[in-house]
Amino acid sequence: MPSQPILETRDLSIAFGEYKAVDKVDFLINTGDCAGIIGPNGAGKSTFFNMLTGMYTPTAGAVFYQGVNITRLPVEKRVALGMVRTFQLVSVFDSLTVLQNMIPPVDRFRRQYANKRLFYFGEAESPEVVECCRTWLAKVGIEKRGREMTANLSYGEKRKLEIAMALSLEPKILLLDEPLAGLSDVEIKDVLGLIGGLRGKFTILLIEHKISQIQNLVRRLSVMHEGRMIAQGEPLEIIHDREIRRIYWGAGAE
Amino acid sequence: MISVIAYGLTLGGILYIISIGFSFTFGTMKIVNYAHALIFTIGGYILYATLPRIGFYPAAVLAATLGVIPIAFIIERFVIRNLYGESVDLTIIATYAVFLIGLDVLKWIWGSNPLQMSDPINKTFTFLGTELPVYRMAVIVIALALAILIEIFLQRSMAGKIVIAGLEDKETVRGLGISVQRYFTMVFIIGSALAALGGVLYAPITVVEPYMGFQILMLSFAVVIVGGLGNWRGTFVAAFFLGMVMSVTGRWWGPASEVAVFAILAVSLLIHPIDI
Repeated sequence: MPSQPILETRDLSIAFGEYKAVDKVDFLINTGDCAGIIGPNGAGKSTFFNMLTGMYTPTAGAVFYQGVNITRLPVEKRVALGMVRTFQLVSVFDSLTVLQNMIPPVDRFRRQYANKRLFYFGEAESPEVVECCRTWLAKVGIEKRGREMTANLSYGEKRKLEIAMALSLEPKILLLDEPLAGLSDVEIKDVLGLIGGLRGKFTILLIEHKISQIQNLVRRLSVMHEGRMIAQGEPLEIIHDREIRRIYWGAGAE
Repeated sequence: MISVIAYGLTLGGILYIISIGFSFTFGTMKIVNYAHALIFTIGGYILYATLPRIGFYPAAVLAATLGVIPIAFIIERFVIRNLYGESVDLTIIATYAVFLIGLDVLKWIWGSNPLQMSDPINKTFTFLGTELPVYRMAVIVIALALAILIEIFLQRSMAGKIVIAGLEDKETVRGLGISVQRYFTMVFIIGSALAALGGVLYAPITVVEPYMGFQILMLSFAVVIVGGLGNWRGTFVAAFFLGMVMSVTGRWWGPASEVAVFAILAVSLLIHPIDI
C-alpha cells in the first residue's frame, strides 16, 4: 500500500526562548516514497529532523509514525520501530575500526549468534559477527577497509560507513540529514548513486540545501523557510514556482 | 630504592583500581561522582566487619566487593540517573551530598576512630637484598590482572565495543537504537565494586577511618584527568605514574608527596585543558 502515510507531523513547533525555530509544520510522507526538504541554512530543517527522531521534544504539535503518536518517544525506541537517521556532521566512532563500528548496530542480532557461553568475551571477534559486519560494509562498498581505524577514512568513506550502519538497522524510513554536506564532487556522485539504489526498498526523507543536487533523486520536495514549510510538491513544480524562487534564491542560498 | 619502587607500584595499583570506575563514570556520563569515595570507604569497613566472622581473608574481600553492589545500585537509580545532562557542578554537589550522608552513617555505626588492620599475608620476601611485604606485591598483581580483564572486555566483547562507542559519542549510540543507559548502569556498578575492592586492598596498608575515601578520591581525580577523561589506558598509565611520584617524593619529604601529584595535575591541565 504505497499511499499509506508512514510519517506525519501536525502543527509541529519548537521555540528556543522567544525564537520559533520550527513553527506549525504540517508534513506527510507516504510509505515507499523518496522525499526531500530543502531550505537555506537556519531554515529549521535540522531542528525539524531532530523532532522527528526524538532528539528534541517539540513545544507544540505532534509526530505520528504509522498512525501512532510518537511525539514523546525516546530516540532508541523510535529506531526499534524502524526510524533511522544519519547526521549532518557524519557520526561514526573514530576510536573503533571500520568493522567494529558495525558492532553497536548489529548488537541486537546477538541472540542469533550461536554462542551461549556465559561471560564469553570473544564474541566481537567471532566469525559470525565479523561476517555480519562485513556484509553490511560490502553494501556500501567499503568492506576492504574493515580493519582500518575509522579515523583514517576520508569524509566520503565515513559517510558511507554511517549509511551502512543505518542500513543494518533495517529501517522502514531512513532520514538523511544533509548526506552530501562536506563531500567532494566525486563523493557526491557516489553517495547519490548509493541513495538512488535504495529508493523503493524503504521510505527515504532527506534534507539538502542545494536543490540542484537532489532534484532528480526525490519524487517530492518540500521547502522550509524561517521555520515554516512554505511549499510542497513535485520537484519541477517547486523549482519553477516564482514565489519560491524569489524567497529561496533571494535568500542567497545558491 | 627497590622498596620505594615497590611502594610506588602498590600505590599505583590501588589508585588504578579506584580510578577506573571513576574514569568511566566521568567519561561516559560526564558525572564527577564523589559518592565513589564513599563506596571505597564502605569497602574498607565491610572488610573490617566481616573478616573476624568469616575468618578467611579472600572471602571477606569478596564479601566487601560484592556487598557494595546494592548500595551502588541505589545510588545509581536515585541520584546518578537524575544527573544525566546536568552541569558538572550540580553533579559534584549532589554526589558530595551522598558522600556526606554516607559518612555520617558510617560514623554512627563504627565511630570515627581509625581502625587498625593487620597485614593479611604477613610474610616478606627478599628481592635484590631488599625485604618486601608479599601483600603489597599481591596488590600489584591484582591491579595488573584487572587491567588485562578490562582490556579483554572492551576489546573482544560486543558490550565492550558499545561502551567504547558510548565514551566517544553517546547520542550516536542512542541513534543506533541502543539504550545506553543500561550499559552505563552496568559500567557504574562494576566501577563501584572495584572502588570497594580498592578500599579493601588499601585498608591493611593504612587504617580504616571515615575519611579514608576523601583523600584518595582527590588523588583519583588527578589520575583520571592526567590520564585523559574516559581514556582507560591513560588511567592505567597515570595511576602507576602518580603512585610512583608519590612514593619517590614521599621518600625525601613526606608532606610533599601529594603536593607533587597536584603539581603534575596542574601542569597536565595547562598542556591539555579539559572542556566538559
